[in-house]
Amino acid sequence: MTRIPISRRRLLKGVGACIALPFLEAMVPSKVYAAHYAQSPSPQRFACLFMPNGVNPTKWNPEKTGMDFELSPILKPLEAQKNELLILAGMMNKNSHTREDGHYTKTANFLTSMRIAKTVDAKVDSGGISLDQLMAQHIGKDTFFPSLQYGLDRIRSGVDLAVGFTRLYGGTISWQGRNQPCSREIDPRMAFDRLFRNYVPGKKPLPHDPLKKTVLDLVKDDVRILEKQLGIEDQNKLGEYLEAVNSVEKRLNDRQNLADFESHITPDIRKELSKMDLRIDEWAEYAEGVDVTEKTRLMLDIIVLAFWSDASRIATFMFGNSVSNRNFSFLEGVEGAHHSISHHTDDPRMLDQYEKINRWHIEQYGYLLSRLQSIKEGDRNLLDNSMIMFGSGLRDGNRHSPFDLPIVVAGKGGGKFKTGQHIRYPDKTPLANLYQTMLYSMDIEVPQFGDSETVLCDLLV
Amino acid sequence: MKWTKGGINLEDYYFAISVIKNGELFKTVTEVVNDGSMPQAQAPRMSQADQDTLVAGIERILAAALAEADPGISVMRRLSHREYKYTVLDLLDVDFETAKYFPSEGSGGEGFDNQSGTLFISPLTMERYYNAADSIVRRIQADDNHWRKIIPANYKPGLTRRLVNSILAFVYPDREIHWDRPEIEAKKIMIPFATRAYRRFLSNEEEDQLMTFFRTAYFSNWQDKEAFDYAMSGVLKRILVSPNFLYRMEVNSHSQKPYPINNFELASRLSYLLWSSMPDERLLDVAYREDLHQPSILKREVLRMMDDRKFRRFSESFAPQWLGVEEMLYAPLTDQELFPEFTPELRHDMHEEVVGYFHEVFTKKRNLLHLLDSDYAWLNEDLAKHYDIEGVEGSEFRTVQISDRNRGGLLGMGAVLTATSLPVRTSPVLRGQWVLEQVLGDPAPPPPADVPALEDAKNNDVSELDLRSLLELHREDQACLGCHQKMDPIGLGLENFDAIGRWRDSYGPVPINTAGALLDGRKFKGPEELKGLFLEDKNKFAKNFSRKMLSYALGRNVEFIDTPTLESLTNELMNNNFDSQSFMLTLVNSYPFLNRRSDLAERYKGI
Repeated sequence: MTRIPISRRRLLKGVGACIALPFLEAMVPSKVYAAHYAQSPSPQRFACLFMPNGVNPTKWNPEKTGMDFELSPILKPLEAQKNELLILAGMMNKNSHTREDGHYTKTANFLTSMRIAKTVDAKVDSGGISLDQLMAQHIGKDTFFPSLQYGLDRIRSGVDLAVGFTRLYGGTISWQGRNQPCSREIDPRMAFDRLFRNYVPGKKPLPHDPLKKTVLDLVKDDVRILEKQLGIEDQNKLGEYLEAVNSVEKRLNDRQNLADFESHITPDIRKELSKMDLRIDEWAEYAEGVDVTEKTRLMLDIIVLAFWSDASRIATFMFGNSVSNRNFSFLEGVEGAHHSISHHTDDPRMLDQYEKINRWHIEQYGYLLSRLQSIKEGDRNLLDNSMIMFGSGLRDGNRHSPFDLPIVVAGKGGGKFKTGQHIRYPDKTPLANLYQTMLYSMDIEVPQFGDSETVLCDLLV
Repeated sequence: MKWTKGGINLEDYYFAISVIKNGELFKTVTEVVNDGSMPQAQAPRMSQADQDTLVAGIERILAAALAEADPGISVMRRLSHREYKYTVLDLLDVDFETAKYFPSEGSGGEGFDNQSGTLFISPLTMERYYNAADSIVRRIQADDNHWRKIIPANYKPGLTRRLVNSILAFVYPDREIHWDRPEIEAKKIMIPFATRAYRRFLSNEEEDQLMTFFRTAYFSNWQDKEAFDYAMSGVLKRILVSPNFLYRMEVNSHSQKPYPINNFELASRLSYLLWSSMPDERLLDVAYREDLHQPSILKREVLRMMDDRKFRRFSESFAPQWLGVEEMLYAPLTDQELFPEFTPELRHDMHEEVVGYFHEVFTKKRNLLHLLDSDYAWLNEDLAKHYDIEGVEGSEFRTVQISDRNRGGLLGMGAVLTATSLPVRTSPVLRGQWVLEQVLGDPAPPPPADVPALEDAKNNDVSELDLRSLLELHREDQACLGCHQKMDPIGLGLENFDAIGRWRDSYGPVPINTAGALLDGRKFKGPEELKGLFLEDKNKFAKNFSRKMLSYALGRNVEFIDTPTLESLTNELMNNNFDSQSFMLTLVNSYPFLNRRSDLAERYKGI
């Protein structure tokens, strides 16, 4: 394992962060590397799948590190993708380590790596923009939908009186800004129609609305008039409104990206859209509220279609809100609910069920990976051009442990990542180092992300 | 006198602000310091003189904060999805289902979805707002009668006008055609409509904006026979996505002092509190012609509004959110295989029981203590059967007299009992915690971060039979003892209700032991006696209910500055036999409900 710390100053100066051995090659100016990266003909994609409630700590890590390792019991379903994986051990999201609470402080900042504000309502604050949204700012502008946020469950209502946090924090990993959570879609039909409704063969496209542009343009005059009469906090809210209107308007006028997107909808994709449309109907009719596996796969398939058609390149997906108590009795050998079982008190029978629940999550992750693998893109496949992250904000749910988080990344990110490794980092290595590495691989250079300290060179080619 | 120690400067403005912001905490601190229970003996001490100065300084800051009434900050609030639904219904007579259409949202304050701090607009939400407006307008247009109710006129240029236009177009091919009549017709419809939608009068500038929109939409298309309706459909959408419609706003005065909100703003505060919707014509009319701030007028209107059938929306919104049973409408956790009786119909019935019972108490019986205990229930046949109560037939809900006093009140309701259970069995800890938090307002602190929840953990392998002995283990561990002594007995006292709220006397062959004692030593046996003890603690319930209602009414968390308001609400309940009607009147007459302050004012900077 190698980890080469890079001083802040070096990064600020934009000098290439990763000095690959041998030594002489390290002398090659970084721009050459940049040029090499730039050859990647297909865009890079990123998705993050968030699992609540941590993992069974004894069944997560492969025994050996390096390239030559056997998958652990939980990761076993990823056998077919083993060479595409980076299993990263020893990482910690430092700012999630508080005494205040076991879950919320380890969810809302999963992708911001900053400290969240303890509050039930005034100034909800995640500490910063989330990784996916920072990516969306940079590369999202090249697609019709800058980013997608999906999940399975409604955000849990209410506040947690015992710990003094709004439960909103447990339902949000994507933050457009530190005070602005992104909304997420939880219904396959709504999510699918938003992207693809007009391209499903045989379906009537949505009616054209010639006044939409004028409405969105002129409604902004209201903001201008109101601003003069309102207080500071009100003006912030209006700013949020204006930003939202602008983003809808932008998409409306975005002929270039729309044309690109439409040109990507090949006959193959159209066939898929037909199938999906039918599957969603069937699920809604027979399985809604019953078959969570199918729902998960529908949502993940929509992400696949979005990546494939280049509708979007960035997505996050939450398997559940933090503290999710989904009833997993539908799994063979599991009798009970997720959060309860995660408090296993080291009872072997409980640990066994915990492991099974974890494995179900990994199976869904594996499903996404294999779907991406099956789609050709140039001389590669879609997974090769992606970074698909899976993780939880906790290690062991029984102890709410923030150390040694369960983190996997799959895909070569356009040939930039050296996959097929299990790496153990020194304890408390910032998780944000991984984020900074991903940003770096996308040519998004930031001096620091969250509490990151360095780019992780051993992940890169 | 200046006193500075350990980075604390009592004269420092920001120190004072942080004390006020955490007022409840500091109040407790001064209390425990004064009674000598803190700091603990082994903790490092400051000199007695310094300690006294510090405590006195903090008390002075706290007292000063309450000396002048402060309505607290009030930030504009986006309509919650529920409020949007009802506002659209009342404004346009369109029943638009928002729960699935708009992205789901969190809640704040005391746990409600109408709190300004947790109502955001994301790009996705905005997109849905536009699409919702579009589909609402289309639905109206699809029905001619409906459309003409909203847009009562339809201007079409006469023969002469069209003739003039074609001549003009011939002579000045480059000039835009324009004439006044359509605008005059449009304005007559548009301005009254916008006034209702914005819940206030429009300024001249705002009227002009709308006219500009109409002009653009109409004259770009005037040759079309439907041009007028087309332009008006655009106007409707334009209004439905305007911040004036989507947010409830209150004009900010630059005054340094708090000031009364204006009559229209008060009308909206009332209607969104009592109806989850916009003011009706009459309320706007009263706001315009009379002074809503005048107590007799305010009272008259509030009583009228509580008498309206729309007041049920208050019960529908407030009660399930307060009690945390909203999930009954969506996907509860209950295990389908173990509890096949727990059908979607049954859980909807359970939700209705909470709403209907609360409404009955609030509007008919008018005694809020009935929420804790009563001799009646709100049931239909299915739910009555579920509870083993005979003689209720049909799917209609109604008030049913009950002889078994274990059932009457919130603690005997299926929704509450199910929401506080695990999927496969009951959880005494969750039930105890629920009672402490939602009913008595006295939550136990969370378990230390690295201590597993003991009872939770033994999810499956421990049968309900062993729960009591398992929970006893808490008493062996000092870290658990304090809180669990408070929670566990309450939950165990409710063990006669199973995980979906049915009555049982035994776990299989073994009888259930529901005897126990509260932390203060008062003994009980079973739900009925337990409720009796809570009735003795009615002051706690009064304070908690007041806090929840105040947060719901103000759309923000209840803060230290609200102490006087909270006290007067609590006293109102205690002194007036928990009368719901006079409680509501006290609430709408309270200082923070009638006033606001500017967050631009110097003296409130940072608070």
